[in-house]
Amino acid sequence: MSTTGTGIRVASVDDIEEGEALKVPAETTGHGDAIAVFHDAGEYFALDDTCSHGQASLADGWIEDGEVECPLHSARFCLKSGQPQCMPATVAQRTHRVEVRDGGIWLHPGEETTA
Amino acid sequence: MSAPGRIAVVGAGLAAVSLCDALRDQGYDGRLALYSAERGLPYDRPPLSKDVLLGKARREDVLLRPEQWYADQNVELHDAAFVRAIRPHDGGVELADGRTSTADRIVLATGGTPRTLPVPGGDDPAVHLLRTWEDAERLRVQLLPGARVAVIGAGLIGAETAAVAVALGCRVTLIDPVPVPLAAVVGEEIAGSLHARHSAEGINVRTAGVERIERRPGRREVLVHLSGQSGAVAADTVVAGIGIRPATELAEAAGLTVDNGIVVQAGQRTSHPNVIAVGDVARQDGHRVRHEHWDAAQRDGETAALAILGRPERAPTATWFWSDRHGSRLEAIGTMTDAERTVIRGAPHDGAFTVFGLRGDRLVATAAIDRPRDIKAARRLIDRAIPVDPAQLADENADLRKLLKG
Repeated sequence: MSTTGTGIRVASVDDIEEGEALKVPAETTGHGDAIAVFHDAGEYFALDDTCSHGQASLADGWIEDGEVECPLHSARFCLKSGQPQCMPATVAQRTHRVEVRDGGIWLHPGEETTA
Repeated sequence: MSAPGRIAVVGAGLAAVSLCDALRDQGYDGRLALYSAERGLPYDRPPLSKDVLLGKARREDVLLRPEQWYADQNVELHDAAFVRAIRPHDGGVELADGRTSTADRIVLATGGTPRTLPVPGGDDPAVHLLRTWEDAERLRVQLLPGARVAVIGAGLIGAETAAVAVALGCRVTLIDPVPVPLAAVVGEEIAGSLHARHSAEGINVRTAGVERIERRPGRREVLVHLSGQSGAVAADTVVAGIGIRPATELAEAAGLTVDNGIVVQAGQRTSHPNVIAVGDVARQDGHRVRHEHWDAAQRDGETAALAILGRPERAPTATWFWSDRHGSRLEAIGTMTDAERTVIRGAPHDGAFTVFGLRGDRLVATAAIDRPRDIKAARRLIDRAIPVDPAQLADENADLRKLLKG
């Protein structure tokens, strides 16, 4: 677990529409994988972007009811905990803390949420 | 209904493992034994005709569950354990090696057996079938650059195998008597676009049936003779992808009702109260076809688990499948022949487009090439029976998510 810093400002709150996600590239996150920041029903969540099952970007997934469904094989993950909700995924996505501050969305790569 | 104390599952494919998963997830804490005729840990079959043949996935990459899961979930996995007979009245399960055990409930998840070519020479050693990990391994080593490969059947397995073979540098001929395979399921537009890709990628496509396979003395190659056509296809390797037949032997011997699959009612119940059937081997009473797809198998497992535990059933959902070929992905929901009219979204000439099938103001089927978002929206529109406006479906600027919200 990394230290709590100010985080990275990845977007303004208006940039990510409800039901949409932003893919923050690995060069920005400094985390090894890109991170997907999701907007679901007024809340923001962040998970490792690459699906733990196949080579797919969860930022391209379907976001609904606190879950994201992978575009490739429809594995669903809990946005809050990163836990897989159905097959074919069996491994959780890492979570990252997201904060809304000063009209911006701030990502804290490597800081897991405690879901 | 009280939960059974012991459940034996015959077969270890997706339906079987989904069932075990759902049982434990629902709090079932009785004994759970899984009998796999194959060696090793249960694996997922879709990658066999894709990444496994390509040499990009190893066995550990395609496991349904990691090894530790079986211990954690207290699932007794018996591999290389061929079940010779079941006795529904007392729950007996007899293995080929003579071992027997009993269970309160037996689940048949025996899947399907690939159909062999019903022509002279169809059993030639050059002819491969593709269903298991071992099948894939045997075929993979034949797909060498320059090898002449004849694929018989241009359905899902055949088309995927042909695409892999051509990508590996093989010289591929794809043979099917149907001019546009899959048209009934995904519609003419999508099926036509997909089938045309084969030729564009350098596959020799022949519209014909197969009459016989000829092996000439002293030659490594075989000749695939086509019905009503001159010029046999010379091949080093032949792959037959002409469907499966349900593996109903155990069910038949046990006296269960079998008719193109083990006939099941709600909750995947067979004609005997102690026996459940799931996956490719089961056919829902009143439905003509068995749904031989990944998603259907997973749902069967969940449905059966809930029924065994006496929990309420989940609402049924539209069928969904996918197929990968030539770097493109086909996805389909429902069956296009159920539709009265179709609406196209996207540009067919680009190769990535969606066809929506409507009946009245409801969506009943959707097929798409490389448009996963359309498919996800369509699946929800169908399952939630939301009325749709064809003009909005066709309009690329209309957000399909908004249709879901009414």
